[in-house]
Amino acid sequence: MSGTTPTEQSSGSVLNRLFGWIDGSLVSLCLASLVVVVVGGLIQVSFGAFSMTIGEAWRAVFDPAVIFDPQVWQVFLLGGELPDLSRRTLIVWNIRLPRVFVAALVGANLAISGAIFQAVTRNELASPFILGVSSGAGLLILLTLVVFSGLAAYLPLLAALGGMFAFVLVYLIAWKNGTSPVRLVLAGVIVGTVFQSLQTGLFFFVDDIGVVQSAIAWTTGSLTGTDWEQVRMALPWSIIAIGLALGSSRQLNVLLLGEQTARSLGMSIEKVRFALSGVAVLAAAASIAVAGIVGFVGLVVPHLVRNVVGSDYKRLVVGCLFAGPALMVAADVGARLALNPVQLPVGVVTGLVGGPYFLYLMRKQQNIGEV
Amino acid sequence: MAQHGEADATADEHTGVEDGSARESALTGDALELSYPTSEEPVVECERIDIPRGEITALVGPNGSGKSTLLKSLAKQLSPDTGNVYLDGKSITEYDDKAFARELGLLSQQHDSPTSLTVEDLVYHGRYPHRSFFEQVNEDDHEAVERAIDLAGVEHIRDKQIGNLSGGQSQLAWIAMVLAQDTDVLLLDEPTTYLDLHHQLRVLETVRQLNEERGVTVAVVLHDIAQAARFADYLVAMQDGELYDWGPPREVVTEELLADVFRVEAAVNYTPDPEIVPKHSL
Repeated sequence: MSGTTPTEQSSGSVLNRLFGWIDGSLVSLCLASLVVVVVGGLIQVSFGAFSMTIGEAWRAVFDPAVIFDPQVWQVFLLGGELPDLSRRTLIVWNIRLPRVFVAALVGANLAISGAIFQAVTRNELASPFILGVSSGAGLLILLTLVVFSGLAAYLPLLAALGGMFAFVLVYLIAWKNGTSPVRLVLAGVIVGTVFQSLQTGLFFFVDDIGVVQSAIAWTTGSLTGTDWEQVRMALPWSIIAIGLALGSSRQLNVLLLGEQTARSLGMSIEKVRFALSGVAVLAAAASIAVAGIVGFVGLVVPHLVRNVVGSDYKRLVVGCLFAGPALMVAADVGARLALNPVQLPVGVVTGLVGGPYFLYLMRKQQNIGEV
Repeated sequence: MAQHGEADATADEHTGVEDGSARESALTGDALELSYPTSEEPVVECERIDIPRGEITALVGPNGSGKSTLLKSLAKQLSPDTGNVYLDGKSITEYDDKAFARELGLLSQQHDSPTSLTVEDLVYHGRYPHRSFFEQVNEDDHEAVERAIDLAGVEHIRDKQIGNLSGGQSQLAWIAMVLAQDTDVLLLDEPTTYLDLHHQLRVLETVRQLNEERGVTVAVVLHDIAQAARFADYLVAMQDGELYDWGPPREVVTEELLADVFRVEAAVNYTPDPEIVPKHSL
């Protein structure tokens, strides 16, 4: 202490505030998640209808003709005609890897969305779909497939819009000289119940089993057939949502101190709550647009991460960014390969994995429900 | 009831009322009628309340007399049905939320926080109104936090988690948070309730020190009237949602007040600190 001048000491402390929150538990969580993503990705690129050895698959992944060619990347990220590539490279880079990337994006978006909603509603059981988002998206998916089949090409966009519309509706219902977490959740239940019924009712007007299967794939969440098109669709929105979520971690932390404290600290609580919900809905909508309504990821991942790194949102959001993709990529391995050649919707697998994990948490933790 | 139009003009130069001494008010409530959405009748009706600048004012009164409600409206947590509150002569509705929180800090009666939050992190949240949306901590924040931690005496528990602290320790941590807010006016709602005597005195001492060294205006709701009389420069006694009396403790704490407001027959002696001795059991 005596060796350093006061300024050195305090600027050290400011630095400490900037980076001191990165601790061992967060780093190990992120590394473990990365390992899961890489191993899951390796399995995904190696197996499938066109089989190759793991060595061949990895050589294709690191094919310099792709990795060091900006033109190829431009085609991947902006669209266009691919130049000539070897067959293996083409299968790995154009069919199998984009699915892993989409899974990672969806996982990150859902996890962050759930984490934000859990702070906004101050309820650990909140998920990205708590404020009516899933039912709104589901209803529009059904309407598009059954009634307005001419618009099927815009299905991803319409699904996302449906989710956002339901969210706005929930907010309007909950508003009465301001909102409160409880009223928001109740309004979400109301809108969800009505939309869910309409959605179920629409199933009766479908005669074509193909349409039913497509509707189920969308409403349970599926990554079948995703490629660079989906990456291009989700990536910009994901970057915006993730950036905003990372930047808002302090607001989320202050929200955890309770409404009264947040207000007495000068937070314009209604504005902040609406803005943060908007970020969460954007993240959820980006994932709905490419994968449909994948359940449980947004509920379970923030829980799991909170168990490891604590409730500080600076750590929690970063943890979710890694753990979400890990769960999603791992679940998609199961969805694609478990019953080969039949592919399950990935939402079925996340539910099957997430349910028991939640049960385990419930039995293990005394004070479940507290954020 | 006072006329609304005059309030703007008079709030600035308003002087202390009952003892006649000229004191500028930091915070003034004018013609306030307060109610909650669930209540039909107004909970508090108060023609005028003044919190003198640079002094400690204690609000006392029996349970349900409207002390906390009045404090909430002064702190912009509850908007009045009628009337207005002025901070430094300017209506508090004209302040933007953060600007207001830089001038006036409030410690509520109940607060909850994530149990894994550390004391230091909690105190840093006190800097919220001084930072913009995405802004990181700077040197000012750091200094204010160190000062608050030092003043509240929570240096030895700064890295501990709130969930592992005793009631008294966590109350001091919350006080440190409000101190880091670095405001000229501080409102405290029953900061000593449920604390043991040692921590009660620690809390009051911290507030007193803040008042003397930094000239902070304090309004505090206290349960113990003898403690309030010893501690505060001014007392505001409330009964059934109205102001009963206002002034220096010696003038306010009388046998008549105890009988009227608290329904206690007691003798009041000044030795020189006030002592309250019940005459018989209730």
